[in-house]
Amino acid sequence: MNKLFKTLYTLLFILLFSGSLFAQSATKLEGEFKLGPAIILIVLLITFILVGVFNRAKDTKTYWAAGRKISPIGAGMAIASNWMSAASFLGMAAIMYGSGYHGLSYVVGWTGGYVLLLILMAGQIRRYGKYTAADFIGDRYYSQGLRGVGAGLAIFISFSYCVGQFAGIGLMFKWILGIDYTWAVLIGASVVLAYTLISGMLGVTKNMQIQYVIIIISFVIPLFILSYKFGYFAWLPQIGYGEVISDIISGIAPGKGVTSMGHDFAILPSPEFAMPWDPATGQTAFQWLAICFSLMIGTAGLPHVIQRFYVVPRAKDARWSVVWGLFFICILYWSAPIYSAFGKILSSNPEVGKLAQDAIVVYTTQLGDLYPLVVGFLAAGAVSAAFSTVSGLLVAGASAFSHDLYYNIINPKATEKTQMLMARLGTILMAAGVAIIALMNLGLIAQLVAVAFSLAGCTIFPLFLLGIWWSGSNRAGAWAGVIAGSSVALVALIYFIGGKFGASLPYQEFINYYLNAWYFAWLGAPLAIISNIVASKISKNKTPLEIKKFLAEKVHNYDMT
Amino acid sequence: MTNHDRYEVNFFKPLSKHAKGNTKLISILAIVWAVAVFGFHILLILVTTPTAEQTLNDFNSVWPQVVEDSSATTEMQQVFSRSLLMVLGKNIVVSENHKSVLKESLSWSVYNMQPDSVKAQYLLKPNGEIIQDAATYIGLSSNGFDKIMKDLLPTSIVKVNNTSLSSSTKEQLPEIMELYLIHNQSFLTDFKFLGFPFHYWYTAQFLLILFVVLCLIYAVAMDRMNKKHDFIEET
Repeated sequence: MNKLFKTLYTLLFILLFSGSLFAQSATKLEGEFKLGPAIILIVLLITFILVGVFNRAKDTKTYWAAGRKISPIGAGMAIASNWMSAASFLGMAAIMYGSGYHGLSYVVGWTGGYVLLLILMAGQIRRYGKYTAADFIGDRYYSQGLRGVGAGLAIFISFSYCVGQFAGIGLMFKWILGIDYTWAVLIGASVVLAYTLISGMLGVTKNMQIQYVIIIISFVIPLFILSYKFGYFAWLPQIGYGEVISDIISGIAPGKGVTSMGHDFAILPSPEFAMPWDPATGQTAFQWLAICFSLMIGTAGLPHVIQRFYVVPRAKDARWSVVWGLFFICILYWSAPIYSAFGKILSSNPEVGKLAQDAIVVYTTQLGDLYPLVVGFLAAGAVSAAFSTVSGLLVAGASAFSHDLYYNIINPKATEKTQMLMARLGTILMAAGVAIIALMNLGLIAQLVAVAFSLAGCTIFPLFLLGIWWSGSNRAGAWAGVIAGSSVALVALIYFIGGKFGASLPYQEFINYYLNAWYFAWLGAPLAIISNIVASKISKNKTPLEIKKFLAEKVHNYDMT
Repeated sequence: MTNHDRYEVNFFKPLSKHAKGNTKLISILAIVWAVAVFGFHILLILVTTPTAEQTLNDFNSVWPQVVEDSSATTEMQQVFSRSLLMVLGKNIVVSENHKSVLKESLSWSVYNMQPDSVKAQYLLKPNGEIIQDAATYIGLSSNGFDKIMKDLLPTSIVKVNNTSLSSSTKEQLPEIMELYLIHNQSFLTDFKFLGFPFHYWYTAQFLLILFVVLCLIYAVAMDRMNKKHDFIEET
């Protein structure tokens, strides 16, 4: 088995560093089949599947416990690659490229949420000892109805989060295979579905560690080359790009080098790239704060993120794996703005043409005239990022479907075999649905994902927060909170979708600004929390003693003697 | 004390010593977290003021002569054209509508500077040679920013339809220039740190470092606290 891996990696290595055979002109940004990148991608996919097969869990018990033997560092890597998606890899740089400082609200929002998750929830969730988010909600609020709602929300959130990933996969397949977006999404979706079904129950954690290494290396290598090539501090581009930002503000005179298309590496003064909420970007300070807040609480409420804490062995490991996980995530987030900065300069000449903003990470390396296989490896890294997240999401969505909805509510007598069948069915249904929505091409990748975040922040986050920290929160309160949170979400979504299809609705401008689909949680979450508290206080039906006892003794470990 | 009260879990009313410590720790970290992220940005909102780029001042100083009473000297026309090119150079952030207004104004201004013999060609379709000459009339050299502006000309000079600017362009142009040339600035954005504008470094790098450190502090402090209170997490 080791021999096989060695051969595979040697092959990958050879491809990367001696592949002048496959090198082709980088000036054609898209529209052709790229052999080198295609081979890298296929080798990576085969590696993932083989790793899965060789690290197969022998039964469901070891599958769940797979994380229990690994160190917090390894678990941190798994958290990071489960987390880092097409939105992190491609979307963030795309938003910063188009809207400058505004994009940093995504960087801060997607990392700051982990602080909340750790200090408020991680250890307690682990000690609660359930398998899914809906399990927690159903048990804590002693209601089958809420369990169903929780499962529905988990499916819906995983679903919309997944749409963004599929869009990213489609974009990269389009670039690598030179086909149109529709076919790229369809092919990408089939590949990721096959991959999840084959390796879904196999060595997921091991794969996530390998995927993390690939994601981060492929993302960072081009930055060293770009910084070196255009004369910036290249030993640590994450620090060196400060000069790039300042240069964009004051302008760069020609003479620092040329792009792959023969234009100067030069730009006229463009302070709009770095100044806060610049009028030119059309984004305001309120939007910056609202997005940042929504993404933070959304992070702490995402089912597929929360679910990772159920499988760590001890609460202590849960905490330390978050510390490592956040550090590993930050390595990518520290680097992402560099792509947008170089992209801004390299595409400043109008003759470069209008670039698809979502693929700016890849175009930047092409315009910087980097070795084509480095670019190919980068694109393959983007696909890995999307794959690792999609398989996590499909599993989360499918388990909500088979475990929470089917087994716990519809048919409690279902055998293990029927449950597995339902899980597979759920995976396929979800993948197909997501592919259809992704084909409609509703918005930028990162923003599609933001819908999922706001919704999680409005509904699941308040339920967990109050459920863990206040035993007074009861079934009536939970219902009130869920209804308040989802009504805000519903209004926002109706206006968002209505706007897309050109319907005119009352107060459209006002609602679109304050309850935009991307950041409605700034209002929805506090409203849900307040409704929950008020209804809990009013309701005569108090939380049953055994739940209070469980919460105090097991979850918070209060010494009652 | 009823049984219900004994098992009451409330973040703000911790029942054990360990829980008290936990509440204190979480509160401190959450406050640091909130002040660092939202406090800083509220400060940024308060201290920044809209600041114009030099280009806007140049533009405004020649606007009345160039557009309103057509008494502009060639030099003024040149300043006018350059300021439009500076905005067109922002390329990706400028919307297509705005670009066409800018291009129309630029072509009109260059048209006015050309000798009468060439003017007719602008009314048809400007060719490469004409565009080369335009650089001379605007007074663009081949070095520095001038070269970038010169490279912009081929995509920026369009056919001139009227010998005077349309009224809608006259109305829109000053607004467009303001939109792209006014930025929110303050001492926080002017101060440089590690080469970055300070606010950019703070948000893009420092906040992320702070998040990791906060998590680290929490993990270490929890381990210590559990040891101190002989708190066994797993049962």
